[in-house]
Amino acid sequence: MAGPSMADPTAAARAVRQARIRSRAGRVGRGLILLVASLVFLGYTLAPVVWLVSSSLQNEREIVSKPPHWIPHEPTLENFAAIFTAREKTVTYETRRAADPASGGFIPSTASNLLPALGNSLIVACAVVVLNLLVGVPSAYAMAKIRFRGRSASIYGILATRVIPDIALVVPFFLFIRNLGLLDSLWSLIITYLAVTVPFSVFILVSYFESLPDELDKAARVDGCSRWQTMTKVYVPLALPSLVAVMLFAFLASWNEFLLALMFTQTPKSQTLPIIVASFTSDFTISFSFINAAGVLAIVPPVLLALIFERYIVSGLTAGAVKG
Amino acid sequence: MTAITSLPRRAARFGGPTYDERNALVLIAPLATVLFAVAVFPILYSFYISLYGLKLTRPHRVPFVGLENYVTVLTDPQFWEAVGRTAAFSVMSVAAVAVIALLAALLLNEEFPGRRVLSAVLLVPWAIPYVANALMWKWIYDSNYGALNGLLYQLDFINSYMVWLGDADKTLALIANAFVWKEVPLAVILLLVGLKTIPADLYAAAKVDGANALQRFLHVTLPALKSSFALVIVYETMMAIRHFDLFFILTEGGPGDASHVVAWRIYVETFRNLNFGLGAAMSYILALATLALAYAVIRALAQRI
Repeated sequence: MAGPSMADPTAAARAVRQARIRSRAGRVGRGLILLVASLVFLGYTLAPVVWLVSSSLQNEREIVSKPPHWIPHEPTLENFAAIFTAREKTVTYETRRAADPASGGFIPSTASNLLPALGNSLIVACAVVVLNLLVGVPSAYAMAKIRFRGRSASIYGILATRVIPDIALVVPFFLFIRNLGLLDSLWSLIITYLAVTVPFSVFILVSYFESLPDELDKAARVDGCSRWQTMTKVYVPLALPSLVAVMLFAFLASWNEFLLALMFTQTPKSQTLPIIVASFTSDFTISFSFINAAGVLAIVPPVLLALIFERYIVSGLTAGAVKG
Repeated sequence: MTAITSLPRRAARFGGPTYDERNALVLIAPLATVLFAVAVFPILYSFYISLYGLKLTRPHRVPFVGLENYVTVLTDPQFWEAVGRTAAFSVMSVAAVAVIALLAALLLNEEFPGRRVLSAVLLVPWAIPYVANALMWKWIYDSNYGALNGLLYQLDFINSYMVWLGDADKTLALIANAFVWKEVPLAVILLLVGLKTIPADLYAAAKVDGANALQRFLHVTLPALKSSFALVIVYETMMAIRHFDLFFILTEGGPGDASHVVAWRIYVETFRNLNFGLGAAMSYILALATLALAYAVIRALAQRI
């Protein structure tokens, strides 16, 4: 610090005081910038979702107000009730006409498909999670801990399958699934989602297994464990965080997938939630509040999972970043 | 991948499979089967189909046409218009994702109370299904009751409600906005990894040398983020080129042809016109273009780093 000579005590004290004021001003300024930036960030990230939730709580009369009611004046759960009771009601042209628009009566004729679709989505996502573990864990263990020819080539080869866009695979996928006679069955989705999700799962698991010491492997093998036992008894328990990440990614990817489901499913027997929700958006006579409630229903499970398991998701995604 | 070389050299270099190699084969067999059946085989099969005039409207006559499908696609001016739209959409989206994600990552890299909450909130758009995202933005953009009109009207930016998605000049940008909103979180997480690797000493040294905040950002932060940016740009470009869901729900390629991108064209050609041969040829061109682009970007960046 140039300027005041240290021999002059008052000048030194003044300099210290000034520096302190400056740093305090700097701190306040930094705090203010961070606050404003945080608010902008929150607004950008959450406002669209909050608006979706807010409009799902409005009835048909309120939702068409100009300008919109940002916060519902008469919040109602009717739209959600309509989803969960749609099965008992038969919607015909007459009942739709007769329904009071104010009560959110314009529910679509396919509304009763929502709950079965929710069930289908759950079944598919859970099956894909289980298969990801069954298929992914052994191969990831082998690639991380067993030395064999073509090891690194196979890791890159597996990832390379994901570079091809899904949309470019729809034609062969469709013919393949049709020839197996699996069109309009949940199996068509389970098989293709497995192929779509498993490369990333293997990648996360290989990264994680590689970070575990090889000595464990040797020790277990000296103690007489087979490869399979070493994997299930030693590595799998230690790799729990990466297993959680893999399960989450597989679940979310399956829950959210749209394109393949659009190709393979034709009836409510196999249609998943995204398909039903998408079918509402193309029908202009359907109440907006009802569509929004269906949208909220589709986002609640994945968002909850993401918030609960945030740590695992971020570590899983960054495992990819550090390696890639 | 340094760990590969540090593995014990157990396997014999030459000769038949060792005991361990046989073990590895057994463990990898299920994965290999799945990927062969549902990834490798379809890729090859797709090429085979693209050489035939397979139309589901006349399933019993499937003539071999050689490369005719490719010629048809590549000489079709509408295809090139779609390529132009895909390129415009991708450039817009990737640029916006990079900028917004950088700003958000710089914010989340600071230590302040509430940072944990913001990092959790960051995952919300990432977790939302694309279909719900599309529905949400369709409702926001709605020309009669939408939030965008309502907000701009209340803030006095517009005097009357406007048409948004239905306006051909705005459609692509609005769809890109919905895409960007959902893609930003992943990019932020990838950039944060890069930011965390910058040693604090570098900033301290730059400060001692008299660099101000902007200079520190330009000369310390940005260069250190190069490889993270490369990853973000390659990944997001691949995602943007192949994106389909938003186009399907928000506009179906419209108004007119305003959002008729390549991914949408493949869908229409294949599943509406049921022209599988032509669809497969277009798919193959898209896949090759994606691969070439990813390879070129990675090569270019690898040389610079």
